[in-house]
Amino acid sequence: MAEILHVGIDLGTSRSAISGSNGERFVVDSYVGWPADMVAKKVLKRAVLIGHDAVSNRTMLDLHRPLERGLLKEGSEKDVEAVRELLKHLLGLVGVSNGGKVAASDVRAVVGVPAAALRTNKQYLRNSMKGIVDSLLIVSEPFAVAYGLDALLHTMIIDIGAGTSDFCVMRGRYPTEEDQRTLTVAGDSIDAQLLKLVEERYPEANVTIFMVREWKEKHSFVGKAPEKIVVTAPIKGVPTELDITKEMKAACESLLSPVIETMLDLLARVEPEFQERVRNNIILSGGGGLIRSLPQALEDALKQVGGGAVRCMQDPVFVGSDGGLALALDAPDGDWEKLS
Amino acid sequence: MKGKSDRVKRRLLKQAFADNLETIRGLPPRAIRPGPRTFRLWIRRSPLVLLILTLAGTTYLASNPTAAHDTIAPAKIVITRAARPLPGAPATIDPTPVSAAALQLSVHRVIIDAGHGGTDPGTTTLLQLSEKEVTLDIASRLGKILQKNGFEVVSTRKDDRLVPLRERARIANDSDGDIFVSIHVNSIVKHTDSHGIETYFLGATSDPSLNKLAADENRVSGYSVADLRKLLDRLYADARRGESQRLAGAVQQQLVGNLRNFDAGLENWGVKRAPFVVLVATDMPAILAEIGCMSNDNEVAMLRRAEYRQHIAEALFQGIHAYASSADSQQKKGT
Repeated sequence: MAEILHVGIDLGTSRSAISGSNGERFVVDSYVGWPADMVAKKVLKRAVLIGHDAVSNRTMLDLHRPLERGLLKEGSEKDVEAVRELLKHLLGLVGVSNGGKVAASDVRAVVGVPAAALRTNKQYLRNSMKGIVDSLLIVSEPFAVAYGLDALLHTMIIDIGAGTSDFCVMRGRYPTEEDQRTLTVAGDSIDAQLLKLVEERYPEANVTIFMVREWKEKHSFVGKAPEKIVVTAPIKGVPTELDITKEMKAACESLLSPVIETMLDLLARVEPEFQERVRNNIILSGGGGLIRSLPQALEDALKQVGGGAVRCMQDPVFVGSDGGLALALDAPDGDWEKLS
Repeated sequence: MKGKSDRVKRRLLKQAFADNLETIRGLPPRAIRPGPRTFRLWIRRSPLVLLILTLAGTTYLASNPTAAHDTIAPAKIVITRAARPLPGAPATIDPTPVSAAALQLSVHRVIIDAGHGGTDPGTTTLLQLSEKEVTLDIASRLGKILQKNGFEVVSTRKDDRLVPLRERARIANDSDGDIFVSIHVNSIVKHTDSHGIETYFLGATSDPSLNKLAADENRVSGYSVADLRKLLDRLYADARRGESQRLAGAVQQQLVGNLRNFDAGLENWGVKRAPFVVLVATDMPAILAEIGCMSNDNEVAMLRRAEYRQHIAEALFQGIHAYASSADSQQKKGT
């Protein structure tokens, strides 16, 4: 009898997570790199590097971040190859060997994509996963989150990732375009904003996007600063302490207006008799859920429409892939066969 | 309670798989999938209906020799057709004699879209001429020529008012139009010496200058970002594109060919693809014609002349007619 492995994958612009039915869970940075030349190949002793390994050795690599706004970049063969490597790596981590199926003879995957992903994007992803998994179900990321949390009725999911912020109102039906929104204002735009602000304030400091991303992940907040944020960056080669409290606040708060506007707009479209229930059942997931005081800021905004409650997932990193896994496990065999 | 949750889950899973199967089959999302209107349109154009109409027309012609005479007499282009009632309007019998050839025409109702209007003047010049005035005037002239030649005309605006692009698309779609022609005037401030004509049809482009042009023309769209995402899905799997391209080619050819008689320096900038919102959101073959270039002083002087604007309208008509004729001949061949 064929051994089946079900997996849920949250293919993220910044990080990708996988949850397997064998209990394995992993998260990797969505970076793939190939040694840039013969010297790098000799030093690194590997044909391809993935995740943190790739970021750490980026100076020696032809480094790719193959997902843009949560979707495969089109038109670049190298990026397509990179995403295939990333997927093979993720599956390898949960027990499927690279390029083949040794530990399981039937791999069934559910992959979450941004809510507003176009059908062509989904088809593109499907094509790129050929030969890597046996059956593939593509769903919107916030739907996967909602399914995993069993929050299928009168709930709003706000999934703030690196490339996109996805919104979805669950009404007990498979979400349509009317129930969902995607903003491209998300973690990456905070990084870009923070880099710009820090460079303006400290023009002599040598700061990269990787550094500000790390600072954001450690210190992000909105509202009142919980502490003074001091980071270290080289100025003329000398490690120097920089106070970036104001810049961090401004960069993170650049997310607030579009997120609040979209949240209120979607709420306004809910049937009046259910609006209060949805307002009190808003779930914040994804990396954005780690921005300190963001739930409170959203609750403050909800006061203008009668108040509400926003809760943040304890484990925002795996909430998408766990939801995908739940979907994969619940789906009947017959349905999977149709997609294989 | 658990039972209810399981039922909801089963339903959601079924819908998720159905959605994936539709993606695999290349179907567009349900929200923008052609509805009953398109189905009716298809039915209307189906060979079976044409056969019935042709038989009816032949019977009519046989009993009305005057009408038969009308169909072969004129040397100039005259297109007549069986009028269709506007949606919602009571069906009426057209008392006009109907030619056998006309019964097979596939283009009956033309939507004319005069670019900009109201608080959105479009391109303006120091010589107190605005794009919105020029487009409205040419649209009005074109409408009259089309009507004179037997086409039905629906205008997205008939006076100087702001009509969001979303509303323009709605008017076109609700009117059950066969083709959509949007009239605009270019302005290329970096190249004031040259002037030319270009016609667009729906499509993605990697040319940043075309994207900027599309962004300028899309400014007063009335669409949210989410709506645009949904609409842009149509860029990739839209069967209208081929027809739109043929219409654009026919119109561009007639514009350049005819207007060069009055302006020898007029350049042919060709048929191009760009993601203009009105082209994406309309259900029928759709084009956007940039009929001139207001950044060129000589052309502005030409556009101020009513006679030249009339020539532009006539050239547009010739292009539409050429497309309609070729569409008919293709239909006759069953292609």
